[in-house]
Amino acid sequence: MKPKMLIPLVMVLTVGIIGACINLSDRAAYAQSREYAEEMKEIQAPTSEQEFPVPLRPLPKTITPCRACHGPEKDFPVNFKRREDILVHSNIRLNHGGIRLWCLDCHHPENRNYLLPLSDGKVIEFEQSYLLCGKCHGTIYRDWRDGIHGKRTGSWNGQKNYYLCITCHDPHNPRFKPMAPMPPPKKPWTPTEVRAKH
Amino acid sequence: MRKNQSSDTDSFAGDRPPADQAIASGDATRPDLPDRRTFLAGAASVLGMLAVSSCSWQEFVQNNFQRMSKEEIEQTVDRLRREYKEKYGKDFVVGTEGPIDATLFGYALDIQRCIGCRKCVYACVEENNQSRDPQIQYIRVLRFKDGDMDFEHATIYYDPEEVPEDGYYYMPVQCQHCANAPCTKVCPVRATWTEKDGIVVVDYNWCIGCRYCMAACPYMGRWFNFKEPVIPVETINTTTHYLGNRPRMKNVVEKCTFCIQRVRVGKYPACVEICPVGARKFGNLLDPDSEISKIIRNKRVFRLKSELNTQPKFYYFFAT
Repeated sequence: MKPKMLIPLVMVLTVGIIGACINLSDRAAYAQSREYAEEMKEIQAPTSEQEFPVPLRPLPKTITPCRACHGPEKDFPVNFKRREDILVHSNIRLNHGGIRLWCLDCHHPENRNYLLPLSDGKVIEFEQSYLLCGKCHGTIYRDWRDGIHGKRTGSWNGQKNYYLCITCHDPHNPRFKPMAPMPPPKKPWTPTEVRAKH
Repeated sequence: MRKNQSSDTDSFAGDRPPADQAIASGDATRPDLPDRRTFLAGAASVLGMLAVSSCSWQEFVQNNFQRMSKEEIEQTVDRLRREYKEKYGKDFVVGTEGPIDATLFGYALDIQRCIGCRKCVYACVEENNQSRDPQIQYIRVLRFKDGDMDFEHATIYYDPEEVPEDGYYYMPVQCQHCANAPCTKVCPVRATWTEKDGIVVVDYNWCIGCRYCMAACPYMGRWFNFKEPVIPVETINTTTHYLGNRPRMKNVVEKCTFCIQRVRVGKYPACVEICPVGARKFGNLLDPDSEISKIIRNKRVFRLKSELNTQPKFYYFFAT
């Protein structure tokens, strides 16, 4: 009688232990997946302009009515042919990306008041030109978003003023311009005879 | 200095039997008055003390800032404001803001971006009321040849027409605000210490001017006022902090405080605000989302002379 009693007991116990194990591993897997999902959420966080307050740079009035010349009303055909000298925009000498770039790589050919669209088809406003810069300069854009590239002023624990790409880099000639340095420190005083020796 | 010396004079007086005691003992025929030599020596030492100290008695008996009570701090600030008003004719704010909770300040400098324009040097001088003559500048911008990291080959006196120059790179050096700061350990009177938020500060009124800290600092981050500092009144910064940029006196050591008067109220240091290339970064090391934490996590960083185990909170990094 005793062995017969033992067998079902052992069976129940083993089933219970296995069940517990499965349950535990399930839980671990669940926790892992949740962590993973959170991680992914962090990585794929939407990078909308609301995420960080960027002061929009007011554009000079002279360049905003692009549509006045480049528009359907004016019947000024879009010329996709690449050319160096553009008579009207003689003040712009493109020095960005060598021969790889020209006007219509950034400016919207159909709607000149905007820049080329992102992959979702939404056109970029001139004020948000940093989104367009990020299309090529992705690593720099990421650093800028984190505050590593570029300059921020204001408060280290609060409201910050962001400098946009175009605040420091002219988009047509982006290289940072050299500047005159401030005067060097005064040399420490040395006796004349010592100075003569050295 | 003030405290120690006053106790010294007490013991000096106690060595000799005072004259009135002799009179009181009844020996009236021959009062044991101090002889001429002793009297002159005593008078000279008292006069000399007064002349050397050249400070008010309130300043003379002032305590170490760390040991001051609230009232004492208020009195001291009032006195300082009065003195500065008298000296510079302007109303000063002498702040005593304490550290913000859960902050440990860190600094990062992108030596790839720095162009050596020295704008930070002069912004620092103006913000922190440094002496113009003799010249004190908390930031030294070193110029190295590309590929060379030997400090003996570097210069701070470069003066070209335009920067950056081809074939050189620049490395500004200032106080590194070490977590294991050798300068605070050697101070014989504990006039310099590390605040809770990681800023290494000096109590100028407690400093005795021995310059041990300057000898101990491997970064030359400290400066001594060998002469009475000269600050042009029209450009003097009247927003000050007791441990920071309040006008200093002769014979005390001073140093970069991460602009304590600015960062304790949430602003960036002056050198960060002025840098035209955005090479200077500042923030809270304890906040994982701060710029400085992201830099340390994601970029190649190094600390100057890390082999000395000073553990600076000033990081140099390469952004790309």
